[in-house]
Amino acid sequence: MMKDGPNDPWFASLPGCEAQLPCGSGRHVIRWEAGELRLADHADPEAELVLAALGGEKARCVEVAQAWARHTEDLTVLAVGPRGPADEIVVSWEDIDAAAQGVGRGGGPLPGPTRLTVPFSGPPVAAMAQAAARRAQAQRGGEQAWQRRNDLLSLLALGYGFQTRLIGQVVAAHADRPDEEDEQGSGNGRSTGPALTAALAGRLAPVAEQWLGIDPDQVVVSLHRGAGWGSVELTGRGEERRLQVSLPADWLARVWAPGLALVGRHLVVAVRRAGWPDARVLALSAPGREPVSLQAHAGDGSSGAADRPHWEI
Amino acid sequence: MNREGAETYLRLLAEASMREALAYAPDSPQTWGPGGSRGRISVVGQVLVMVGALDTEAFEDIVTDFDFALNVRIRREPAAKRTFIAGSAPPGKATFQAVAAARWAAQSPTVRSGPRRKAGRLGSTAGSAERADPEPPGPGNGDARAGRFVPVGLTVPFHHAGIGGELHLMSYAHTGSGARFVVAWGMRTPPLQRMMGMQRLDLIPFEQFTVTDDRGTRYQLDCLHAGDPEWTGELSLRPAPPQDVRWLDVTAPPSFAVRVDLRPAGPACDEPQVTDVGHSPGERLLIVLAERLLTTTPEWQQRRPPAERMRRMPYPTATNLGDIVAALEAADVLSPLSPVPARLAALCAWLDFDGHGLAVPASPELPEHWLSLLAHYQRRKPDPPPVHESYAGLAADLPELDGIRLALLGLHHTGEGSSLDVLARGLIPESRPGPLGIDRGFPLSIWLLDSGGRWHATRPADRRWTDGECMARLQLVPPLTRPTDWVEVLASGQSAEVRTRLPLRWGFR
Repeated sequence: MMKDGPNDPWFASLPGCEAQLPCGSGRHVIRWEAGELRLADHADPEAELVLAALGGEKARCVEVAQAWARHTEDLTVLAVGPRGPADEIVVSWEDIDAAAQGVGRGGGPLPGPTRLTVPFSGPPVAAMAQAAARRAQAQRGGEQAWQRRNDLLSLLALGYGFQTRLIGQVVAAHADRPDEEDEQGSGNGRSTGPALTAALAGRLAPVAEQWLGIDPDQVVVSLHRGAGWGSVELTGRGEERRLQVSLPADWLARVWAPGLALVGRHLVVAVRRAGWPDARVLALSAPGREPVSLQAHAGDGSSGAADRPHWEI
Repeated sequence: MNREGAETYLRLLAEASMREALAYAPDSPQTWGPGGSRGRISVVGQVLVMVGALDTEAFEDIVTDFDFALNVRIRREPAAKRTFIAGSAPPGKATFQAVAAARWAAQSPTVRSGPRRKAGRLGSTAGSAERADPEPPGPGNGDARAGRFVPVGLTVPFHHAGIGGELHLMSYAHTGSGARFVVAWGMRTPPLQRMMGMQRLDLIPFEQFTVTDDRGTRYQLDCLHAGDPEWTGELSLRPAPPQDVRWLDVTAPPSFAVRVDLRPAGPACDEPQVTDVGHSPGERLLIVLAERLLTTTPEWQQRRPPAERMRRMPYPTATNLGDIVAALEAADVLSPLSPVPARLAALCAWLDFDGHGLAVPASPELPEHWLSLLAHYQRRKPDPPPVHESYAGLAADLPELDGIRLALLGLHHTGEGSSLDVLARGLIPESRPGPLGIDRGFPLSIWLLDSGGRWHATRPADRRWTDGECMARLQLVPPLTRPTDWVEVLASGQSAEVRTRLPLRWGFR
């Protein structure tokens, strides 16, 4: 089925995918489908959360779903996540279990932020209260850092398919406002433009290398912020050769995440009609040319097709 | 200033470094070793923080994300041995020790609100012909940075209870934190006592000294900082004499008396010449880097094994210069038309440094003082024997530069080298080192021209703080090789430079 126009969701060209993870005494399936994470083996995750809040054990599947929700706007996902199918991230559930055991041994969270301690003067009671407050603050900081690290490791352990979909989700959350401050992700009030530009450059450069054989360091990327799809120009010769690419941030969500970046020796610069397994794309045969509209079809049958879709013209 | 450009540049550099790291192996020395991609990001990030183009939190985020991203790509042995969980930096607002503070930026005139002086006037200078005393305000009296500085250049011998020697009064300074003499000193002690550490200023029996002013008021001498004989010391006067005191009689045991005229009528010293230089923060940083290259190269060469000294090698301080220049341009704190990168390239060529990464052609013109130092390094014949241990009284209060006011208080030479003693007001204490060894705690450049026409760079060697004022010893590179009749001091910051010529009166130990 093809969905029409610019209003189709960013994930319309992505098939569902699933992963297995150890949960309780068995292995459970967790699925991503149409932009949503679903827990196949937990009928009522909300109820489980209530039980966990009352002291029950929280299922790993539920923890992962919560982690996913916490990081759908987190720009760190773009800095850490894969740059392409060949970029392998090696995190296993055993690693995460080992980390959790490491935490337990120390009787508390992993070391958190180190802060300079300021000498205080005052009565011992006040000093003790200040020290206790500092300890509590440091502990909270340590817990947050541990939670954040554990979240990201768990999300990476889901595998490449989930990693790219999370990247798509994060980009989609920010792509229409790259000049706005990153209020939700980091709370630091900085513009999201630099992180989006770097995310685009880091993923487009290897694609350009495959497309033209150009050194990835010679690819100069900027965010396209106006109307239209952007521009791709080749300038200079030899060491001065540069591929100047300007694309909107949502190229990452709509083109790169579904694996559409390079199809039939064409660089896909936009998706006209998103869909799975058929999509209509706007693609360049060479820099400086006018893009052409092409029909792309996703191959199937091979293992891992959902994680790393292979598209053909 | 383009903060978004700065952050974008650093993030793109992290992406390029990541590609490079993955091309080798994420845990290879090319990534984590000296000059590796991790170090590259760290240095460039710290530079951007230093010029105020990037906040520390953004820098931490980028580096911790980079560390984490590499860590999850390192293939390891069995899971239990994997270290990224407990050992690596988490992708949070957590620990990152190589944090550059924004103090440099805080020192920078771009964030200082004080007016820039167009033409300077000495508060009190060596040998000023004008005999009316300036009005050094006391603590809490208006501008605490003003002060009274008088060159002295007198020796007071002493002998008491088996301890004898000379106290050399180099200069007198009265500032918001009190009145003091800056002194050099020598004690005649047998070698055994010398070995036992009995060569300390605080062993001199100051309680036996008397200090009396022109009105008969007596003062107590206290040792503020002792140090060793290679250092100068400070003796405070309690209570602080009045601002219009004309002279002080210093009497040492058994009965040596010396009159210190606080209104000297010695040879006139030039009025400091202030010139606006209008450097951008990026240019200023590159100049500081160049001066670091100029002053540390000989030591670096000496530390290398003899067999390697003739081989061109990347010098650690110079290896990221191309990245730094590009980052400063991206942050709009360095104009692409600035001549400074080309001078830096020329300097690297003179010093035979490889791998600096600067894309600009080397400039055919270098500042006179840089050339003087380079010519010194290229001399084939050995230096003449150094001057004897000696000291020169001098005093000059320089106009404010980038919010910092310097007073020059003495020049001395020991077996360890030559040093200029300065009192700095307005400095922000900063103990952490900056990127590439930049001293963030002393953001000014001080050069010294001797009467033989040779320039000497300086680099901070020691400093001590009293009530917000910093007494710093600036080591001369190269040291003096003969007593000089005068010195011309060139102090420069981002906004302006100050030149002043001072006559010297040398005393010998």
